[in-house]
Amino acid sequence: MKRAHFIVGVAVAAAVLAVTPFLDRYVAYLVTIVAISSIGALGLNLLTGLCGQISFAQAALMGIGAYTAGNLCNAGLGLFAIPLGGLAAATASVVIGLPALRLRGLYFAIATLAAQFILEYLFKILEPLTHGISGLLIRPPTVLGFAIQDDRAYARLAVALLFLVWSGIGVLRATNLGRSFLVVRENEIVARGMGIDVARTKFWAFLLSGFIAGIAGAMSGIASRLANPEAFSFALSVDYVAMIIVGGQGTLTGPLLGAAFVTLLPEAIQRIGELFNTPSILSALREFAFGMLIILFLIFEPLGLMAVVRKLRLRLTASKPGGKSPAATTEAV
Amino acid sequence: MALEARGVTIRFGGVVAVNGLDLDVRQGEIVALIGPNGAGKTTFINCVSGAYVPQSGRVTWKGGDILGLTPNALGQRGVSRTFQNVASLHDLTVLDIVRLGRSLGRGRTERRSLGLFTTRDPLAEELTETLLAPLGLADARHRPIQMLSYGHRKAVDLARAIAAEPELLLLDEPVAGLSSREAHELADVIRGVRERHGCTILMVEHKMDVVNRTCDRIVVMAAGSRIFDGSSDEVQVDPEVRRVYLGEP
Repeated sequence: MKRAHFIVGVAVAAAVLAVTPFLDRYVAYLVTIVAISSIGALGLNLLTGLCGQISFAQAALMGIGAYTAGNLCNAGLGLFAIPLGGLAAATASVVIGLPALRLRGLYFAIATLAAQFILEYLFKILEPLTHGISGLLIRPPTVLGFAIQDDRAYARLAVALLFLVWSGIGVLRATNLGRSFLVVRENEIVARGMGIDVARTKFWAFLLSGFIAGIAGAMSGIASRLANPEAFSFALSVDYVAMIIVGGQGTLTGPLLGAAFVTLLPEAIQRIGELFNTPSILSALREFAFGMLIILFLIFEPLGLMAVVRKLRLRLTASKPGGKSPAATTEAV
Repeated sequence: MALEARGVTIRFGGVVAVNGLDLDVRQGEIVALIGPNGAGKTTFINCVSGAYVPQSGRVTWKGGDILGLTPNALGQRGVSRTFQNVASLHDLTVLDIVRLGRSLGRGRTERRSLGLFTTRDPLAEELTETLLAPLGLADARHRPIQMLSYGHRKAVDLARAIAAEPELLLLDEPVAGLSSREAHELADVIRGVRERHGCTILMVEHKMDVVNRTCDRIVVMAAGSRIFDGSSDEVQVDPEVRRVYLGEP
């Protein structure tokens, strides 16, 4: 990660943290869900965008994080429940990733799909841990005896976690492991021929991606005070795949844009419907509009929102005297 | 003998790509493996580098059997290679590739920079300049690899392999795609690598001026077998080599 990008990240995170105490509760809620979705999207992007392993089990991994953190929160572990939820999901992610040592591409994607449905089923039947269909009620975590139960506090916590995950992945991308991810993504045979231990590289991708998914799930459960099977269904996994496609796979900031887009679009459509007194019509069209936008993205900008941002930046720099050439500005941001 | 192959046979279905090949390379020697297309040169290199396992035969490196070892395990034993066709690896810069190459070797001179989570590596940066400067790529360290020409990508692939500080370097057509001037400069780089690191080099190459400039000995293969083993002066007058290459009776 370039220092300039890091400084921009710090500035944005600091600005959001500074304004959250003054936000309307609804806006704070929106900030929270966008930040949580961004964390989940960054986790999936690490696995799919950087390491090339397509997964449809992101929601189930988040579910493991949510149920683990929920039970630990209820047991009085406070905010420690969040990293522990991450660890539980990381363990599950490594197990789900085992078929990736033999399967590639769509075949592996189908294996993750199976894992998603198996875990969804387990969420329903492991009642002592999950409370079945009705879901697990999660008590607000306490820090030094004070319960965190304000929407603005959740927003601050989610944004702080997002910044940590975002900068952590930025650093990871510049390590030897991050470089190995990219070579494995491009061509496993080439990676193996170069001497990269492909199995070990995938292991790390599943471990780290699962950990991040678990953190997102834990934060989601804590913020909504509920973990139920419906909240971590296959549809959510598809949403996460959409987030990284819309945002720009393999980039550092793209998943954040994709998460904001996919999370806020239904809210925006709902608001517009209310504004024009046509909530029922627009609500019916919401799924249709969402699907159409994804299709349009795939057709007209398959590299996602980050490609749009890059093009705009190129246009701006090219119009300046002495601006950078396109060749110098193609790095993944 | 540093590298020793005995009776190596590799078949693909009914096709015998390498047929009972015996080949020796001494410590610190640069040996060229030449021959017409389909002679089995790259297949043999693939076998030594762990990509293929032969149906029969034995390959040892410094006395230890290396057949069946993965490229990763071979890297830890000081064996590194380049490829005939280099992949266009998106989102990776020249320096990324060289740093990655360093991390995959066993680091004979400097081990501190080899960890999975290492970001910076001063030796890789120095190597990038030393190895790529002759090709005018010294200031291209931050350029994405997919933006380089095929020839320059091959040079970066060579830099990656050398960055691993190998004891045995396997080169598969290292100068293909380069201009004559660049090919000669890269040939000098290869000799320089041997002088600086004392590594043993086995090289598949078609350009005879590069072979003559670089190699101590030439082995000629045809139809999977060795038909000649000697110096560059001898190879030009060998009747069997002339028959295979020029169709002389």
